[in-house]
Order: sequence, then structure tokens, then C-alpha cells
Amino acid sequence: MDAAPASGLTATLLRKFALRHWRAEPRQSALLVLILALGIAVFFSIRLANRAALASFQNFTDLITQESDWLISAPAGLLSESLLSELRERLNPQPVNIIPVFETTAARPQTDPDEAIGSRETFQLLGVDLIGVQNIAARRVQDLSWFGQASSSAAGAGNAESFWQVFRNPRAVFISAALATRDQLKPSDPLTLVVNENFVTLEVAGIIPTTAEGPRAPATLLVMDLPALQNLTGQAGSLSRIEFVVEQGPEVEAQRARLREQLESWSGERWLVSSPADRRASAATMTRAFRVNLTILSLIALLVGLYLIFQALDGAVVRRREEIGILRSLGVEEYLIRRVWLLEAALLGLMGGALGAVLGWAGAQFSVRLVGRTVNALYYSTSVDAARLEWSELAAALSLAVASSLLAGWLPARAAARTPPAQILVRHALAPPGLQFWRKKSLGALLVLAGFALVLLPPLRFSGGVRFPLAGYFAGLCWIIGGGILSGATLRTLARLVRPLGRWLIPVKIAAGHLIQPSGRHRLAVAGLVCAIAMTAGMTILVASFDTTMRGWVERTFQADLYISSSGAQSATTENRISRDTWKSILAHPAVADVNLVQTCDVELPEGKTMLNGAELAVMQRRTSVSWMQPPLSDDVFAFEKNSGLALVSESFSERFSLRRGDRLTLPTLQGKKELTIAGVFSDYGNERGSIQVDRGHFAAWFQNEQVSGLMVFLRDGFPAESLRAEWLARYPGLRVFSNAHLRVEILRIFRQTFAITYALEVIGVLVAVIGLGLTLVSVLLERRAELTTLRALGLNRGEIAQATAGEGLVLAVAGVTVGVAVSLALGWMLIFVINKQTFGWTLGFDVPWGQIAGLAFLVTSVGTAVAYGVGRWGAALPADQEE
Amino acid sequence: MRSNPIFQRCVPTHGFRAPILAAAVLSLLLPLPGAEFQPPLKTTDGFAVPQPGRGFEFPRDHGSHPEFKIEWWYVTGHLLGESDRRFGFQATFFRRAGPQLTNESAIPATSAAFGNDELHLAHMALLDVPGGRFMHEERLNRAGWDAGSITNTLAVHNGNWFLRLGTNAGSDFALQGSIRGVASFSLALTPTKPLVVFGENGVSRKGAGSTASSHYLTFSRLAVEGELSLAGRKQSVRGSAWMDHEISSSQLDEDQAGWDWASLQLNDGREIMAYRLRKQDGSTDPFSRLAWVDAVGVVTNFNSTQFTWSAVRTWKSPATGGVYPVTVKLATTDPASGQPVTFTLEPILLDQELSGGLGGIPYWEGACHVLDDKAEKVGSAYLELTGYVGSLADRFK
Repeated sequence: MDAAPASGLTATLLRKFALRHWRAEPRQSALLVLILALGIAVFFSIRLANRAALASFQNFTDLITQESDWLISAPAGLLSESLLSELRERLNPQPVNIIPVFETTAARPQTDPDEAIGSRETFQLLGVDLIGVQNIAARRVQDLSWFGQASSSAAGAGNAESFWQVFRNPRAVFISAALATRDQLKPSDPLTLVVNENFVTLEVAGIIPTTAEGPRAPATLLVMDLPALQNLTGQAGSLSRIEFVVEQGPEVEAQRARLREQLESWSGERWLVSSPADRRASAATMTRAFRVNLTILSLIALLVGLYLIFQALDGAVVRRREEIGILRSLGVEEYLIRRVWLLEAALLGLMGGALGAVLGWAGAQFSVRLVGRTVNALYYSTSVDAARLEWSELAAALSLAVASSLLAGWLPARAAARTPPAQILVRHALAPPGLQFWRKKSLGALLVLAGFALVLLPPLRFSGGVRFPLAGYFAGLCWIIGGGILSGATLRTLARLVRPLGRWLIPVKIAAGHLIQPSGRHRLAVAGLVCAIAMTAGMTILVASFDTTMRGWVERTFQADLYISSSGAQSATTENRISRDTWKSILAHPAVADVNLVQTCDVELPEGKTMLNGAELAVMQRRTSVSWMQPPLSDDVFAFEKNSGLALVSESFSERFSLRRGDRLTLPTLQGKKELTIAGVFSDYGNERGSIQVDRGHFAAWFQNEQVSGLMVFLRDGFPAESLRAEWLARYPGLRVFSNAHLRVEILRIFRQTFAITYALEVIGVLVAVIGLGLTLVSVLLERRAELTTLRALGLNRGEIAQATAGEGLVLAVAGVTVGVAVSLALGWMLIFVINKQTFGWTLGFDVPWGQIAGLAFLVTSVGTAVAYGVGRWGAALPADQEE
Repeated sequence: MRSNPIFQRCVPTHGFRAPILAAAVLSLLLPLPGAEFQPPLKTTDGFAVPQPGRGFEFPRDHGSHPEFKIEWWYVTGHLLGESDRRFGFQATFFRRAGPQLTNESAIPATSAAFGNDELHLAHMALLDVPGGRFMHEERLNRAGWDAGSITNTLAVHNGNWFLRLGTNAGSDFALQGSIRGVASFSLALTPTKPLVVFGENGVSRKGAGSTASSHYLTFSRLAVEGELSLAGRKQSVRGSAWMDHEISSSQLDEDQAGWDWASLQLNDGREIMAYRLRKQDGSTDPFSRLAWVDAVGVVTNFNSTQFTWSAVRTWKSPATGGVYPVTVKLATTDPASGQPVTFTLEPILLDQELSGGLGGIPYWEGACHVLDDKAEKVGSAYLELTGYVGSLADRFK
């Protein structure tokens, strides 16, 4: 048979043989597409949300000028602006634009002292030389110019005059078009913000000019003249980074390469050289573990869906075996039959993928906020609130949809093609047993054992201390599939257990009768349930264990009476600090017994980026009980006179960089490198980057900075915390003062909020599994039309038939839940002690939330039974001769 | 004569060898108001006004004068590279002071690295004659770490561009310029003639207004040596340059539309500087001037009635739409012979417009051949045509 007739025949076969069935069962077909679509939608929405959160990491300077070739930043702390002249001198006569940047954050003033952390918008305040940036910006066609936008408001002022007015106004701020529209701001309007611990009223000078084709400035971006912003934050003379743009020309590539070498050779460890791509990659690395975990979780629904598609296609082979037999006897070759089956599966994949993409895109608009909130709380500042459609992600989602339905359709297609025509044409011949391997208990047991072997393997390690527990994830997969296979056997056991009740209850007898020899369809539906329950309950165990551990840690660690920070501090990455004058005056208050001052900055070690904290270690020892992984062997680390060469590190840090007590690390500071010995390892659940803690006195000296990010205040007896809180809030409106109880609640709330998205993903997984259960019963009943007719003839009414189906559903659900919960215990254990420990480096206690799991089991069982009852009622009314 | 012109103490009606005869000729040619002109000390916005009889001290007066509002240092020149490949270059460094602050409370926080008192605008242009290419770049920076000037000597910079009084032998200037990543040059400039102070009694008036004037200091001929890199190829170049330094607080009068200016370096060793101030109605302002600098640096001035400046051919800029009279005929009297003489300035390339993205002032500044009335090349010139796009007076206000 040559190609053209073959493809013509394929099309005909597809239309007559496959699509006819789809049209005949529109609801079932639609449900199948929907199941696949849900799985794809969840995956797609998470991928889009991840992408959006990642894309929101920006330098921002490229909005204003162009993307820099290189940038330098201090390994810890800020750069001195005196470097600028040095660099220009060294670079001469090379045509290189040097762009100094100072960046900080600000928030809107708080209106409610009891508000939740992160409930107000965080602004990125970017300080650039507004004159200098125009040299690069002028080469692009921009929608606006920086200056002159306010000229209409300065009555009668000429161009030049309004220029100087804006240029010299130390409060002039440029806002994005998005913010201007949203908040109806126009030039000369005031904009009040909390910068550090102060309320400052800035004056809108205009809109940030951008190019028509380039990215728009996000609503949260504010731009000020660099020296004005330095002064506003009390950081005169300091720069966050210096960016470099090499002038375009025939040798630009060589010049760029040369510039990087020069910058590296002149650094003398004073700065680090990177490219904007390096920085994006580092943001990507920072959040990789989080994103990968989320992506894997997002596959639950698809995995569950795959069982169901597999099962549906397998069922179709069984139902259409007569037709296949006829086709085979008419000389249609095996490969054509297989091709048609696979085409049908691919078509299903395409439809499910397309619908999934639509649903996923909509879902992404919701999930992006959840992802953004977590990224914001743990990693870096982002204001992402919408996910853009990414073509590459769409292609990935569609490919995944088609590939997974092809995967699910492969075995049924083979079974169909290999069916010997003679066997099939014997009417009422025994249905082929279908998936033989799925019935092998030994395979299930083998997979479970393989899982146990896999969890013993270490994680994959990448640069920057990134680890990926690949073996752990495979172990999970083995358990889920192994559990799915074994659940078929459970079905039989359960059916035997309930069969005796059949003596009194006919519906039970009927139900049990069907399940003593469960079909492949039944087995796969239960396996789908097992998958959904195992993963959901497993995550529940992880979250509950985390929660319990966190609560214990918070109880022990947070023992101060009041916690003070800038009210602008909205997330882990905000730059709002408290000035020395303010914290000194709080310290001097007669009610204050002890204060632990905390300073913090990012630090780039040779091994990777982490966080450095300066804390009053003596106060910490005296006042709090630290949870030690490795306690210090002497008290030296707590004594300022003795601890200049000592540091404490968090467990995540220790895991990430494989450094333990007694090991040494080199800390870059403005005063040169400091060799520190790790005196102890404490547990901390901040984020997986880990942290180093040194005495604050040394921190302040090393970084020549006395601004603190927080104060933990211990009050003298007889001074009620609430009245002190009120007093300080009134005196320093730019501060936020938390009582102990309130802070603990906030910490746990933020912690739980980061799990919000995982709950959403699980709900969808369970939903798909329950729909699948219903779908299974629908197709089972369709196959048993003859039997239903008989039952009705025997006098069973519609209710009794429905009860029988409900019983069948109940047994399926119970089997799924039982095996699912058993697998979930293993998964939960593995998530806590393997995945979590290997990825984030946190040691958690194991805590099974039996109540929640029982609730889940009850919910799934009852909904499953109810769905089965509904299907039964519908099935009982099926006419005997209706064609499928 | 070459002794040490830069550090020479100059007097306003100077002449290095000011012979009595020349002085007599000069006095006949000088317009009458010169002697009596007494401007106010300050402009209405508080900046210094050029005062007649000011004594200049060098190298201090090569440096900047922050008490004045506007100041520029300007170098143009004609170069020959390998195989006599011809180039023209222009480098201009402007300093522009912001309004003076009167209200104490309005004084913004200042930072040495990021000043807000002055802006520095600079232009760099290169004409590649055989390549038929004109390249230019503008830069605007605040006075601070990446741009500025100093008051005790000449050292003005803007990014990687600078013009400095050199340290070797004390009499060379060093000019470093580049255009994007395409071209760069590093030139040593050595005056071959003494410094000229144009104008009357040290003040070059630019209009009837009592403050429309400048101190106008010029080296009319400098020997140039250096290196030029174009599209990655380096070559040594040599040639001659012209260098101006003008100090002012108010450059144009209300009714002036712009100016045409030219510097001619004649092959006989003399130079001509001429400017025509154009009024809004198209007529020539009586304060337009032409000056001859003889082979030893003696200046002979002509007023607006003693020369004519006429456009021979115009060129329309495709970038800005400005129509520039790029071919110019200058008719005047040769002070050496007393005979009328005519020169035609013929642009070497039509498109030598600086399109003014940053400064907002497009203008044409180009290298020209100087032709005599027999169409023989008798020298090289740089021609500057301003105020043909938009209103220049508005810009300067």
C-alpha cells in the first residue's frame, strides 16, 4: 500500500472508526477532554506563574537606558561612589558609559497598626543620574522626556526654569504610567512613602520615559535623581551597583570582553562583576528549588488524569473489538490500526491541551499572585500580578498533552492492533485481559522496594549550593505507581470482605460480584485515586510537620516583648532600615531592659549568595533559647571581645555549603576579608539560602553602617508591652511595632500563605480523581447494559441499581483511600526527610495530621459514593439497545 | 613669538608686537561705541557680565569661570592621516550654570559627585573625507564625577572626552575624543601663534543689549599631532587646529535668530574669523564682525559694514528639515594690501549637521575648502550655522 491511499484510509478510518464513537458519547468524550485539560491547565498555569515571577526580576535600569553589558556590586554591603572617578580614570580613553545606581525600597504609610505584613505595596526606588542616563536613552525613541513634563503646572515657567526646578528638587520622583493611571497621579502631586523609618512626601515630577516597543515600567517602580535618593535614605556616597554600557562600534564584542577582564583585574576583591543575564540566572537559581517543587506538584492532576485516559482508551479497545476484528478481516493492516488509535489519542491530547491552555492561562492570573507572594516573601521583591502568555510554555503544554495521551494510548493501541481477527469475531468471546502487567502484584511490590532504595541516594549538586533530589522524586513516583498496582489486589480483598453482606443486601452482592474480578478499568480508576490521595495526604503531612516544627521554633526563638521594624519592611528583601538616632532613643527608654539589634545584608561568598546577620549575640544567649543543630562548644561566640573571628550559621547554610561547626569561611566586608570559624549551627526556617550570624558590633564596624533592620525589645517588669507599643507607634509613625503574640501569628500566617498554592493544586488533583471515578463507572455501566436489563427484568428498581453502583463506587473509593493513605505516609516521610532536607536543608519533626487525613478520606469516599450513585441512577435508565 | 604664548599676560587691545602703525589703522577701523561701552557688572539673574579692560591671567583664564553663566571651549581642525587621507574634527565642551539660588531654604543637598549647579554639554564630530562620512556624538552631564571643569587651568572633561592643558613643555593641549565605539582620537595641540582676544577692550559684543557679550579668547592656529582610530584601524594624523574659549552670561539678543560663524586658515599663514548675527527679520545685526589675524598674530577688525556674508547655496537637512546656507561668499578688504578680496567657503561634505538630540539645538558645523575668486584653494575653514531649526534665542534664555 503506497503512502497516499494509506493516509486517505487513515483519515477515513479515523472518521468512521474513532470519531463516530466520540460523537455517540459526547458527554464522556467531553469529560475525558476535560480531565486532560485540567491536568494540563494546572501545569500550564504554574509554569506561566513561575515564568512571570522570574521575569519580574529586573534591573530596571534597562527600562531607562538599555541593558548593560556588565555591572559591579559589592560582595556585601554597598559600593563607594568614589569608585566612579577611579573607574573613569582607569578606563580612559575607552568609550564606556558608566552608570551608577542606588536602589532601595519604600512602602505606603500604614493606616492600621495591626495590619498583616506584606499587605501594602512595596515600591522599588531606583536612583539614577537623571542627566547622565539620557546620554544612552536619547538614542531610542521615547514616549516622553524626563524633564519638562511639569512645565504646564509651573505657571509661566519657561523650559529651562522648569528643568532646573525639577532637577534641583530633592523630592522629585518619576512614576510609571501604570501608577499614574491607577492612582490618578499627575505632575506636582504629592506621594507619601515610608523610606527607612521616615514618612517622606515626594513630589511627582513626571512619568518614567520608556520606549514604545520596550517593556513598560511596572506600577511599583519609582525613579529619583541618584543623590536625592542617597540623601533621602541617609546613604550619601553609597551605590548599590555600577553598570557599564560599551559604545556600539565594530569592536564592541572585543571591547566588552576586555572590559570584563579589566573590571575583574581592578577589583581587588572590592566588587564582583556580573552581567544582567548572570543576575537573572542567579534569581532563577535562588528560586529554582521552589519552582521545581511547584512544577512537580502541578503534575499531580495530569498524572491522575493519565490513569483515566489510559483506562478510557483501554476501555474503548475492548468495546470496539468487534469493529477492529472486521477491519482486520477486511485486510486493514496492523500498523494502520495502531496509527488510527494513536491519532485518536493525539487528537484527544490536542483538544485537552488546547482547552487546558485556555483554562491554564486563566488560572495563571490567579496562581501568579500566589507564586508572586511567596517569591516576594522569601526571595526577592516582585510585584508581579499578571502572567503573560508565553509561546514556548504553550508549546510545552501542548506537547505534554499530546505526549501524555500518546503514552496513555500506546498500550491500548498495541492491544487493538494485535487483536487476532478470528478471536474477536467470535461474538461474546472473553474480553482480552488488557493490561497484564498492571495485574502483577510482584511488579507493584518491586516498585515499592525500588523506592526505598532510591531514597538512600544523595541529591544532585549544582553550582551555587543548589541541590536537586532527583532520586527522591523517582522514589515518590515508584511508590505511587507501585501503590496503584497493588491497589487492584486491595480491591479484590475488600470485595471479598463485603460479599457476605450480600446475603441480605442485593445491591452489595451485585457490587461485590463485579469487584471480585476487577476489570482493568476498575484497577486504573483506583490507581488514579491512590495517586491523588497519596500526593495530597503526603503534602498535608509535610505541611503539618513543618507547621508543628515552626511553631515550636517560633515559641523558643521569639521571646522578646516587642519587635520593631520599619513599617516599610514588607518582605524579606525590603531595604527599609532604622536609623541610629531612632534606635538609640528607643534603647534609652526607661522601660527597656535589653535589646537585640539586628542588621542584615546580602553577601556573596565564593560558594554562593547568602545572607549575613549582625545580632547582639550576648543578648541572644541571655534572652532566647536557640534551637541548635550543633551548639557552640564554648561561650566565646557570645562575648563581643572574643567573637570577632567566630560566626554562627543556619542549618540551611550548613547543608547548602557542606560546612559544619569548626569549619572556616571567608566573609567579604568593606574592611577587607574576614576569616571566620563556625562556632555553631542553629536551626532557622527563613529561606533556603541560609544565613551567617556575627556579633552586631563587628557587623557595624565591618560595613561602616549603623542602620538596623529590626529591634527585639525586652521590657523591664511592670511595663506593659501594649502601652509601650502604643507610645512608640505614636512617636515614630514610620515604625511598626509588633507584640510578641502578634508577630508569632504573622510569621505563621506568612508561612502558611506560602503553602496556599499547594493546597489549590491538591484540590484539583483530588477533583480529577473523583471525576475519573464517576467516568469509570459510566463506562462500566455502558458495558453492562445487557446485565442492567436483566437486573431490571429480575425486579430491581432504579434505586436498587443505583445503590449497587454506589456500593461499587464506595469500594473503589475505600480501596483508593486506604492504599493512598498508606503511600502518603511514605511520601510524607520522604518529603520531610529526603526532599525537604536535601533541597532546603531544614530538619523538621514528623507529624501526621490524622484529623485532616481522615477528613480527606471521608470527603473522597463520600463524594465518590455519591457520584457513583448518580451514575447508577443514570445507568439504570439506559435503554438496552442504545448504541454506544 | 612661540616663546610661551599661553602664559603670556594679555591685555585687551593686545598685539604681540603691536606696532604704532597697526594701532593707528585699528583705531580708524574700530567702531566708536567701543571706548565708551560700560556694561552692568551683573545680569538680572546675577551672573557676571564681561567687563572691558579685564586683565587675563593664564593658565587661570583657560580654566572655567563659574561666575559666568555660559562658557565653552571649542576646537576644530583639519588633519591628514596615512596616504594623505583627510579628516576634519570638532570638539566642543560647554558649561552652563543653573539659576543662582537666592532662597537659603531652597538650597538642595549637594553632592560633589553629582552636582546640580552646572550642566556640561559636549559635542564631538569627525569628518572622514575619503569615506564621505560625517560622525558625531553629543553628551550631556551634570558637573560631578563624570564631567566638569576646574578654575585654575584648562581641564574640562565629559565622560571619556577631555581637553586639558598638557604638562609636557607646558604649552600643549591634549584633546581626547571619540564617537560612539566607531572613532576615537587623541591629539596634542600646540599653538603656533599667540593667543588672540577678539572684540574691543577684551569684550566681544554680540548685540545691542548691554549684557550680550563675551570674553573671546582664541588660538587661531595650532599644530596638531596624534592618533586617530577609525573602525578599529589606528593611524597617526597631523594637521592644524583652531581653538576658541568664550565666556559669557548672555549670548544673544531677543531679536536675533542665530548666527553664522567661520574660521578661515589661509595658506599664507593668516586667519580670518567672521560672524554674522542674524536678526529675526533676516537682516544682519550691526554687531556682526570680521577679524583678520596676520602671520604674527596681529588682529585687524572690521565691523558689519566692512564685509558682506552671502549665501551661495543651501542644503536641506533630511534629519531636521533645517535649510542651511552651506556655501558662503565672504567679501572684505585685505588689510595687508588694502584691496577688496572675496573668499568662497565650499563644504567638503554637505551633511555636517549635528542634529541636537540632547542639547536640543541642531546646527551645522563643517569643514570647508576656502576658494579665492579664481576658485583656487587658498585655505581651509570651519563654518558654523546656527538658528536654522527652531528658535535659538529661546534655547539660550
